[in-house]
Amino acid sequence: MRIDFPLRMVDGLRLKEEYREVLRPGELVRGRDGRLRRLPRWFYEIPNWRVALKTRLSPHFVLWELIDVDVREHVLLRTAWPRYVPCAVTLLAAHLELLRAAVDTYVHVAANGGYRSPRHALATHASTHCWGTAANLYRIGDDDLDDKATITRYHETITRVMPGVYLRPYGAGVGEADDHIHLDLGFTVVVPHGAAGEAKEAPEPASETETAGVGAP
Amino acid sequence: MPSEQARTELQEQVATIGREAGAKAVAVAYFDYETRSEWELDGDRWFHAASTIKVPVLLGVFGAVHREEIALQSRVHVRNRFTSKVGGGPYRIDGDRDANSKVYQHLGQTMKVNELAFHMIVTSSNLATNLLVDLVGVEAIRRSLEELEVTGVDLVRGVEDEAAFREGINNRVTARGMISVLRPIEEGTAYSVELSARMLEILHQQEFRSGIPAGVPDGARVANKTGEISTVAHDAAIVYLPERRKPYVVVVLTEWESGGTGRSDTIARISRAVYRHLTGNGR
Repeated sequence: MRIDFPLRMVDGLRLKEEYREVLRPGELVRGRDGRLRRLPRWFYEIPNWRVALKTRLSPHFVLWELIDVDVREHVLLRTAWPRYVPCAVTLLAAHLELLRAAVDTYVHVAANGGYRSPRHALATHASTHCWGTAANLYRIGDDDLDDKATITRYHETITRVMPGVYLRPYGAGVGEADDHIHLDLGFTVVVPHGAAGEAKEAPEPASETETAGVGAP
Repeated sequence: MPSEQARTELQEQVATIGREAGAKAVAVAYFDYETRSEWELDGDRWFHAASTIKVPVLLGVFGAVHREEIALQSRVHVRNRFTSKVGGGPYRIDGDRDANSKVYQHLGQTMKVNELAFHMIVTSSNLATNLLVDLVGVEAIRRSLEELEVTGVDLVRGVEDEAAFREGINNRVTARGMISVLRPIEEGTAYSVELSARMLEILHQQEFRSGIPAGVPDGARVANKTGEISTVAHDAAIVYLPERRKPYVVVVLTEWESGGTGRSDTIARISRAVYRHLTGNGR
């Protein structure tokens, strides 16, 4: 299958101020664990909804599914065009394609379940949704993902085909999910070929202690 | 305007209907635009609101629309997960108990605010109600009700919050309170003539018609909202009669032993009594 990819890459730091205020390219935000994370700088520009509807990121995942948001998103990303999505969304689609192949049925990404801007009302911390690397799934095929047995079964499938993917544990607590599956690729940033180089001076190394394993996204 | 004797007769009729049906409590209130008269029986008695609270919620949602915080076309993520008023734990709407399944079909997707408002009122969807309460917020809805000078309505939480129910923390209404909810909608003063008309249009599409609508002539148009749980059965309505006459607003709230029968029929009989009282027909 031929994948059309008509999107233009843009440097978030060069966008109009109104967009920079919403997308906050390259800014530091704090996670639930208190650690600082740097938001993506490079985005794909989506000129209109028609393009979002027809742009395939992988054989079974179309761009619109990963930018579908509700009234809680900032008004600029609901009512105006163009819109922007971090370049890492292509990696997310590729991973979802692996899951799609393993389950051999539809994988439904929920509204608010793909990219959310840092100004989204649900983005109260450094959520991987703001990196375009997270997906919330409420249904796979005819299975509603709203009970422990079903969620655990699909967790096992996801872990088998994508062992590096983070899965929010089943549960009702903070950082857990009991009515959907949250999977993500961590705070992954994609810098496409053709992107401008980094500044010569390297940033100061982080002083926070690194720990093994993954924390709550 | 109904005479004092007629009012006394209505009071006796309502009491008799309630007693014969075995109701624990009955409260009734009306406001008649034709005669500009009002009347109530235990109009300030508080009842568990059941689904009648959805009309005050509708007012709150349209208040947010009026303030341009949301639009009727705004899309809302449909998710069945809410936070209890007590303890802050999560709870879900029981799909088997909810009156409407169409909203469930959109889980994980979005629905427009006006679609959710429609299902909240017309099919009494609890899921749609909680999504709207979550979106607008209890405090914002309460402020909207205050702005409209609605009294006798105590909205404290979403619906089906069993933990709150067990603690006795419930949405409550009085018969006079529900009159004060419906009057701005009928009079076009709920934010604007246009927004009031939109709310009235939704109420007119009500599917539950076995209460007040069943007590008025077939040609009447009724914009109403029922409410029913194991121990209460209510209906609140604006009644437009086929004859050349202005409408009236009537509210019937009833309380029962759990599992009591004949509740809708009791409301319909009281509705019939109010209709006869106001029009003189069938006396």
